[in-house]
Amino acid sequence: MLDSVFTGWGAFWAVIVMFAPFALMGIYIVRRKSVVDTGPTSLQPSEFAPIEGVWLTIAFIFFVIVNLAGLKFIPWAAAAPSSGVGPVQEIDFTAKSWAYDLSSRQIETGKPVRFSGRSSDTQHGFAVYHPDGRMLFTMLMMPNTTKPTSVVYTFKEPGTYKVRCLEYCGIAHHAMQDELTVVKSN
Amino acid sequence: MSFATSVVNNTPIFGKMIAVDKSTGLEDINAWPALMIMSSFIWLVVAGVLGLVLPATQIFQAGEDHYYTAMTLHAAALVFPFSVQLMMGVGLHRSGGCVGKAITGWLPAMTWLTMNLGSAILTVAVLMGLKVSLMVMFPLPLVGAQMGVWSMSSVIVGFTGIYLVLASMILFYPMLIIKMMFFGRKRAELVLSERSLNDPGMLGMILSAMVLLLTGLPLVVVGTTLLLALYHILPMSMAAWAADPVVFQYSFFFFAHNLMEAMAIMVASAIYATLPLYLADGSRKLFSDKMANLALWILLVTSITSGLHHFITFYPNQPAALSYWGSIMSWGTGIGAALSIFTVFATIWQHGLKPEVGLIAVLIGWGLYIFDGASAMVTSNIAWAYQLHGTMWQSGHTMTVVLSMAMMWMGILYHHYPVITGRKLDPALGRLYVRLVTVGSIGVASVMLMAGADGMPRRIADWHQEGWMLWGNLFMVFGLILGAAFLVYLYSLMKASEMSATMGRQLARA
Repeated sequence: MLDSVFTGWGAFWAVIVMFAPFALMGIYIVRRKSVVDTGPTSLQPSEFAPIEGVWLTIAFIFFVIVNLAGLKFIPWAAAAPSSGVGPVQEIDFTAKSWAYDLSSRQIETGKPVRFSGRSSDTQHGFAVYHPDGRMLFTMLMMPNTTKPTSVVYTFKEPGTYKVRCLEYCGIAHHAMQDELTVVKSN
Repeated sequence: MSFATSVVNNTPIFGKMIAVDKSTGLEDINAWPALMIMSSFIWLVVAGVLGLVLPATQIFQAGEDHYYTAMTLHAAALVFPFSVQLMMGVGLHRSGGCVGKAITGWLPAMTWLTMNLGSAILTVAVLMGLKVSLMVMFPLPLVGAQMGVWSMSSVIVGFTGIYLVLASMILFYPMLIIKMMFFGRKRAELVLSERSLNDPGMLGMILSAMVLLLTGLPLVVVGTTLLLALYHILPMSMAAWAADPVVFQYSFFFFAHNLMEAMAIMVASAIYATLPLYLADGSRKLFSDKMANLALWILLVTSITSGLHHFITFYPNQPAALSYWGSIMSWGTGIGAALSIFTVFATIWQHGLKPEVGLIAVLIGWGLYIFDGASAMVTSNIAWAYQLHGTMWQSGHTMTVVLSMAMMWMGILYHHYPVITGRKLDPALGRLYVRLVTVGSIGVASVMLMAGADGMPRRIADWHQEGWMLWGNLFMVFGLILGAAFLVYLYSLMKASEMSATMGRQLARA
């Protein structure tokens, strides 16, 4: 289930889950205290304290749970040596306005791949899209850095995966694309 | 009559919207703020038209050149000369009335001049061909010139414009706020509603000025070095350190991120200052000043370093530790926001509310700001950042935070308008504005987040890939509603009716 939470659309619904209680409570309180009953409340300030405590505790616990649940989906944590998922294929690439120079474009399903990239001019992105249009992951490259940017990813389904630059890099930025071919593992 | 009053009162159309009333004796706290507010509305029209041009270039397939020109100009006009300048104008008038100090002399003049001259120069550079987007992805400007995409002259002109705008926000405006708060002579006749620095509204004002000044100074140093090298005053070898992309990006994002955070602190302080004026029982008190101030301090401490979340997807060429730190601090801002929310709701519950148009506009802007805060926290989570960074989600976040703050300051202007102009605004037009801006802003913010969730890249001149034009059409629909809302607002300023100066002054003190 968490697989679908830590996706683009999962993020959108997470925002709705956080915002909806605020919005409903806000509409209720403003309407009630400006239209229905505008007089001061009989509650004493000290009686608000437990409500405030509960409110802040719920917010804090929610924040902690979300971030702990997300740890598993951080690419570098998922690919850490202790996870036992070492990369078996290395793909190095260089991004330059407005194309990628990739060491390989062929990948097998089920085998972890480490993408390591550098930029040779300005900032570029490297985002891989599933054939159905979902973005799987993105990474950023800055020129003149000592280490490359890298992500380890295991493709599950064969197909043609599109690569796009997601960092604005000039007037042909929208055309900076490439393709990866993922084939079924033998 | 001061220079600022003279410019406002002699400017056609826009000058009529906020013509300064000279009979009140308050010209010293009204003139420069009125000029800033008027100038911000001129830029709002520019930004609004260009905002609609963006989807229009896609619908009519007008070509990438027009798209990237409109994109750079729209974002730059929306953020700096519109939103930031509006915040400066209304905030300065309010501060002047709270501490009873004149907003006169060279500091307000330089704040206004550098902001507008810099924005105009940047506009010229973009029309010369420089298309670098709002976020300067250094070394893109230099690379573009080397590749012959735009000229080196346009880079020099563009950097000059950007530098002047930064000087306005990082140097002159914070210095003006600090001068007003801690120095200068208090004049009893200028005090409209006396406040001290213990007041949450005033505390937020000074904290945000300090954030701009301190987190912006490294960028001023880097920018000055680069600009001197571009003008051949310094040899390029002495500017090499500043031209290192890592150095530039860290100084840029520490400022750019904290510019947004400073504006967010101002948002919290603005609602703390405005809400008590509209309580049904007339108590003029927040539920708890201590809780309100605590929220501001939490926002300040967490937000300063939360900007490290901009570097999450650079791993491992930037340390993972910075990503974790940025992520944790970003979610820490949520605790400050939760405290703020409780303070506002508890205040309304405790004292009742007079639902006047200005306050409702402020509350809608604040609600949008909370919505945006949730989207910012989500995208700062490291796992989600890998799914969202570089998509339309980020553009939606940036636009929404700017929009929500602008909506709040436009709402607050309802309160201050009579004392500046001696005229009052039509509540019926105000209600129409609130309805339209609610639908337009929530619509466009939600659609941009949805487009990002769908994987639509930001800043690309081809929305027809992968069926993303659906989102483009929705941007257009909600953008038109938002545009209509702003037109209604500006029209209501044009059509404001005359009232006696005495009544205006009484309203301001009310």
